[in-house]
Amino acid sequence: MKAIVGGKVVRLTVNSRGYEVEVCPNETLLDVLREKLGLTGAKNGCGVGDCGACTVLVDGKPMSSCLLLAIDCEGKDILTIEGLANPKTGELHPIQKAFIENGGIQCGFCTPGMVLTAKALLDNNPSPTKEEITEAINGHICRCTGYISIFKSISAAAESMKRGGG
Amino acid sequence: MAKELKVVGKSIPIRGSEELVTGKAKFVDDMPAELHVNVLGSPHPHAIIKNIDTSKAEKLEGVEAILTYKDVPKRLMPRANQRALYVLDEHLRHVGDEVAAVAARTRAIAEKALELIKVEYEVLPAVFDPEEAAKEDAPKIYPEGNVYGPQYGELVEKGINAPTLLEWGDIEKGFAEADVIVEDKFKAGSQVHSALEPYACVASWQGDELTLWACTQTPTEVRKGVAYALGIPESKVRVVSQWVGGGFGGKYTNRIQPITALLSRMVGGKVTKYVMTREEALVQAKRFMATIYVKIGAKKDGTLTAIYFKAYADLGGYGNFCGITAFWGGYPCCSYNCRNARWEGWDVHTNHFTSQPYRSVQLPGSNFATEQVFDAIAEKLGTSPTEIRLKNMAESGDMSPPEPWVANTPAYPRAILESYPSRTIMRQVMEKIDWSRWKGWGKPIAVSGSKRRGLGIVYSGYDGGFAFDGYRSQAVSLNPDGSVSILSSSQSAGQSPWTTQCQLVAESMGIAYEDVNIFAGDTNTGQWDLFGMRGSSSLTTGGHLLLMAVEKVKQEVRLLAAPKLGVKPEEVEVYGKKAYVKGNEQKAIPIPELLTQVICASATGPPGSDFPESTPGHKVRNAMVQAAEVEVDTETGEVKVIKLVTGNCPGRMINPGIVKNQYIGGAVQALGYALQEEFNYDEEKKAYLHASYANLKVPRAKDIPDVIENVIVEEYTERSPHEGTPYGAIGVGELGHWAGPSVMATAIYNAIGVRLKTIPMKPERILEAIKGWGGK
Repeated sequence: MKAIVGGKVVRLTVNSRGYEVEVCPNETLLDVLREKLGLTGAKNGCGVGDCGACTVLVDGKPMSSCLLLAIDCEGKDILTIEGLANPKTGELHPIQKAFIENGGIQCGFCTPGMVLTAKALLDNNPSPTKEEITEAINGHICRCTGYISIFKSISAAAESMKRGGG
Repeated sequence: MAKELKVVGKSIPIRGSEELVTGKAKFVDDMPAELHVNVLGSPHPHAIIKNIDTSKAEKLEGVEAILTYKDVPKRLMPRANQRALYVLDEHLRHVGDEVAAVAARTRAIAEKALELIKVEYEVLPAVFDPEEAAKEDAPKIYPEGNVYGPQYGELVEKGINAPTLLEWGDIEKGFAEADVIVEDKFKAGSQVHSALEPYACVASWQGDELTLWACTQTPTEVRKGVAYALGIPESKVRVVSQWVGGGFGGKYTNRIQPITALLSRMVGGKVTKYVMTREEALVQAKRFMATIYVKIGAKKDGTLTAIYFKAYADLGGYGNFCGITAFWGGYPCCSYNCRNARWEGWDVHTNHFTSQPYRSVQLPGSNFATEQVFDAIAEKLGTSPTEIRLKNMAESGDMSPPEPWVANTPAYPRAILESYPSRTIMRQVMEKIDWSRWKGWGKPIAVSGSKRRGLGIVYSGYDGGFAFDGYRSQAVSLNPDGSVSILSSSQSAGQSPWTTQCQLVAESMGIAYEDVNIFAGDTNTGQWDLFGMRGSSSLTTGGHLLLMAVEKVKQEVRLLAAPKLGVKPEEVEVYGKKAYVKGNEQKAIPIPELLTQVICASATGPPGSDFPESTPGHKVRNAMVQAAEVEVDTETGEVKVIKLVTGNCPGRMINPGIVKNQYIGGAVQALGYALQEEFNYDEEKKAYLHASYANLKVPRAKDIPDVIENVIVEEYTERSPHEGTPYGAIGVGELGHWAGPSVMATAIYNAIGVRLKTIPMKPERILEAIKGWGGK
């Protein structure tokens, strides 16, 4: 059996790098990222868009990559967790630092998705209220933290970014 | 003289957080694989495979191996505390029970192959309620009966149908002495662990050596079980389980591991991966569902005279770490100084999927039942929930249990309690929730339209963190530059003992935290842990053994340094990368000048030994109080948690940030169990309807209380770090989680004047309970 039936070449920009990748019509963006590009930071937590673990930013918007067909991402600008830190120095993004410093991580399986959703939120709303943070992350399941330390992490990141940390 | 602590007590960020926050941490599913496994699950809750034909599936292009029970006839897969489990079996005991497994080049091909497997089943009668299943005439899931008695061992297939028991004093006498007796019946639903990382396993063979990447809380047990099932030496099996995306008691040894290993072996060792879908993962393991009977007697002055507890717990078709219902039922018993008590646990197989412990086993269920009966006693006596508890609760210095006990199930030593400041915790929790607002039994503290607010407060003791010194080992290497490498059998699934264990070693050696590194999550470290990441014990028992190993290393250094310093070995202190004469730090040799070799030592306890009592006749125990303010909407049945206050004693906190996060995370998980998560089986459809996150309703950000506060009372006895609990730390992992259902039930009662007797207390149950209700 051929690995790809009816494959089509799709051009994607992932973490500021251009890719041409042959995909099946039914292949999700999550599968392409994880299996063809080796970017396993986005996790497959449920496969049906319930948990948020596969979240990546598509043209700046948080999307469940398990629900997106890769062929529909032609020409899109995609950011995964692997592309968030400074590519030259490796310095972590202020949101990543805030999650580490504020105990926003326990097992870490939800973390990549949660951090990217926080980035989309703070890029559009530098001073979110607790309600706005709650609304933003309500599509993500974290079974470990009880969310309190995640609120704290995102609030701390907002402060840090306003001070120029971002 | 005690040294000032430099690393212990600091909220150092967890180890590995940089890998996790950048996506570099490789979970099992992140491993690439050549073959993918799919498993055919039973469509029936109880059946025998009469015939199975895989010939069509075998011919499908891309299919490389198929495994059925015929390939592994009666091949046992040993696990701790459970019925004999075969790798595959023609007798199927629940919907989804493994019938056959296919390894193929893609998941899609494997899935297609499953459709081509033809199976003829003889459908058998099924039973789903544990109390029903315990009856003589119930369908037999095992020929000898459905009750898992206390005498079962991991390879024992037969036994008598008997309950587990814990008792002391004379309950008949106790009830005869009582002025007030209350008895009641409760139903504790199940809760699915639902860690965000699904169950996954990757197997690969190099010659006759197997490497198994598995997300599990019990890698040593996986190694033992897989080696036994495959008939190969344990030395040829390496289990790697470095990053575990949540466990909570859900990730023990299971069929997934031998099945994946066998399929890989059948195809010459190709890298073979089995990752469950979320739908599959949510029907793998669950907390013991139970029917609980409680009877409590007390004198007019509130003194408890007798407690009787009986529970029928659902083990599912197999059970994993089971046969301990009296044990989890018995936790509350040691919480009160009641001289007569009996705890009777019926562990019963049903045709549901496996039950196993979930973060404090099933204390949330037993506490839900006992604390509500206790409240009813107090109400009859005209006293308050806090007064009756303050009067009867055990405290540091008390003998626990108050009378010698008789048990046929694991029982901790009877001893005097340490680090158990129950009354202090209770008073501080009362202050934080502002208990003075309480207006009496069944009376809301505020009413606004259909919304009524109530306060509740509950208490328990628990043995978290103190088990089985002889079940694990830990090792350290002191390097010639003075840094230390830890070889640990402990794993991390969010509670991060890797961080706290490095803190313990840095503190004990007097070196910087950055000078310590830890290697763990791999059975090839040579360290072993038969108990696994369970029972809040990674830091406590694990840390205790680690500091014993550190002490052995220090002793080696003392022997080397003593002649050079011109003193006896016992006069040498090893601290701060040097060996020096006690009381004279100037007379010192730096470690780099002393050592030319690495000094390595490991530590374990005698076989089967318990964690040592802190001093002879004394033991540490967890004292816990939780209080809540809830708002019940009597029109919709919805419960909103306005404020939750957790109260605990962690002994001494090694890492306050981790401690607090464990309490909060555990408490929120338990609120999910109390109010919204429901295991849901449809007998007609033969399907588990909860099997998606959308249907299971685990708490999301919008579901959590407006305010969560923590009362943390540190109480510990100063000892040498390697004696007793490490620096006085006691378990925390399970200890925020015990109270969700009980604290919600007591607060709901005080809001609406009606007792809820079934977990979860979802809106429809609350509306049902207040039908015809006039309000208090």
